[in-house]
Amino acid sequence: METLKTVKSLCPECLEKIEGIKYVEDGKVYLKKECNIHGSFTTLISRDVEHYIQMEECFDVDRAKAREPLTDTVHGCPFDCGLCPSHKQDTCLAVVEITDRCNMKCTYCFANSSMDASLDPDMDTIRTMFETVKKCQNEPTCIQISGGEPTLRDDLPEIISMGKQVGITHIELNTNGVRIAGDQDYFDRIASAGLDAIYLGFDGVSDDVYLQRTGRKLFDVKKEVINKCEKAGIGVVLVPLVAGNYNLHEVGRIIDFAASRVPTVRGVHFQPVFYSGRSPDDMEGKVTILDLLEEIEKQTSGQLKVTNFTPSLMPHAHCGATCLTLIENDGYLPLTNISLGAAKSASDVASKTKKSIMGRWKGLEKDKEAKSSCGDLLVKSSCCEKPLSDLTVKGSCCEKPLTDVLPEKSGSKLANGWADFIEMSKNTYLTISAMAFQDVWSYEQDRIENCCIHVVTQDGRFIPFCNYNMTSCNGQFMYRTAAE
Amino acid sequence: MSIIDKLKNLGGKGMDVKISAELENLMKDKGIKKEEVQEIINKAESSGNKLKSTDGELCIAKGEFENLTVYAMYSASELKDVYTHKMKILGLTGGELADADYDDESDWVCAKTGEPALERNVDMNYMGVTRPGPGIVCPNGSDFYVSPGVAKTLTTAESVLEEKRA
Repeated sequence: METLKTVKSLCPECLEKIEGIKYVEDGKVYLKKECNIHGSFTTLISRDVEHYIQMEECFDVDRAKAREPLTDTVHGCPFDCGLCPSHKQDTCLAVVEITDRCNMKCTYCFANSSMDASLDPDMDTIRTMFETVKKCQNEPTCIQISGGEPTLRDDLPEIISMGKQVGITHIELNTNGVRIAGDQDYFDRIASAGLDAIYLGFDGVSDDVYLQRTGRKLFDVKKEVINKCEKAGIGVVLVPLVAGNYNLHEVGRIIDFAASRVPTVRGVHFQPVFYSGRSPDDMEGKVTILDLLEEIEKQTSGQLKVTNFTPSLMPHAHCGATCLTLIENDGYLPLTNISLGAAKSASDVASKTKKSIMGRWKGLEKDKEAKSSCGDLLVKSSCCEKPLSDLTVKGSCCEKPLTDVLPEKSGSKLANGWADFIEMSKNTYLTISAMAFQDVWSYEQDRIENCCIHVVTQDGRFIPFCNYNMTSCNGQFMYRTAAE
Repeated sequence: MSIIDKLKNLGGKGMDVKISAELENLMKDKGIKKEEVQEIINKAESSGNKLKSTDGELCIAKGEFENLTVYAMYSASELKDVYTHKMKILGLTGGELADADYDDESDWVCAKTGEPALERNVDMNYMGVTRPGPGIVCPNGSDFYVSPGVAKTLTTAESVLEEKRA
């Protein structure tokens, strides 16, 4: 047994702060921690220490703090969230929950759903939440409207309009898509209110999967949402929750489906199941990031390899992995590779993540409109940092327009694989990412202190997402209930 | 005065080889010094490893550095163009110089042998991605050049690949 490092963690029983050690045994990484009252707990963190360390070595980001803290440091991390002055990272995405209600009863969910509409925050409260984001997050501001299921609110179009009036730069909607698929008028209203992207729950490409989690056949619903977004020019990110005994066997087909709907579908954002809320206690479906990446490699016949995934521009090397790939003749041409080493950062992690959310994950039509509002961000440190679509469609200041750079001789029989490559990078690329949320077993304070995804509470505080949804193994929330 | 002598004077007093202001700015943007271009041309002139246009008016010399390939296009009196790519040319696509099923003769002659240079695909690699692109190839099968137009395509593709890591 070889110790990697000591970490600050939590007792899964009582949520008290305890120390743990990360260690290696038989090539696997484990976290072991001990509570004076509740004893010892050991969790598997990664099945392959080499991959684990490679991800750390490839991770290199600068950081910027939030514009201003909202709470004082009293008890120490993680008990002062709001954000407190010791938090190391500005917000990249602020999650604004506008209802706890939901029209699904999913087997796995981190949200705490009820059907009591009277508990929904009113418009004034939501305005305060938006204004808090505007005040604390460095520009530009990115929010995700979430829940519960936000489309249960009839006033969602007004909420989105209000967000835009407050000056929020990018608004995306986290939804199961059921209402959008069936209610064209409602969709038209949220689209014209200024919605930038849809973050669509999408667990598989067969009804079996949806029946298992929700008791309903939903694949046609998901396809209809994408059809509607295509017409409206709104980008879609498919968001599969992944569990071993659920849909891990079809992650490759999910990616293939996404590739077939590019450019409306801009990305697939896998979320391996974590154990909070109403999740099962037995953890039999647990999937690590590496498990998922290995399945993706297997199911895409080696076209997208584990090594094509690099650490996401997230708080921590182990919070996520991302691959950017072009789509070529129904195959993949991945652009990212961990062997290329750490990217040299020119701006901090929140700015980069926002750029990624705004540039890659919104609709193509929206990209064009967004030039005036987002242009400053997108070109912040260099003209070459524009989104792929911009770089090559418009011809940035780095390069002449595409029409100028195509081969001189017309009628040449030579293939120009690089001209095709540029053409593909305009419209046929896909971002595939996986995010590893923390549960009470895998909890590391270091990851929380650097977290950039923050839930905005109704009383106007920011809680790092994993803290907000953290429960003890008995279902006791650390923040969620206390915050409301 | 020969082209070499003229180019030796680049940047010095009495320079009579013309470089347009536009080209000078372009070289400055790319971080290429006149002396480096001069060195590339000197070597090409002394070794004969260069392309010559079929009308004899222009030459292309090539210099390979660790992460950059620099081409200089020049006439007897003027430096006409300097262009670059970061990609590495790996070799002929398909490995060998087989007969082409099209007229593959380019507008260039390989100065050393006097044979026409051929338009053939060469494999080029950058940041883990290898794809073919049009090259100008000497019949010895080992000297590879690209045209200014193709170099622009390559530079754009390089930017796309670099952007993914930004």
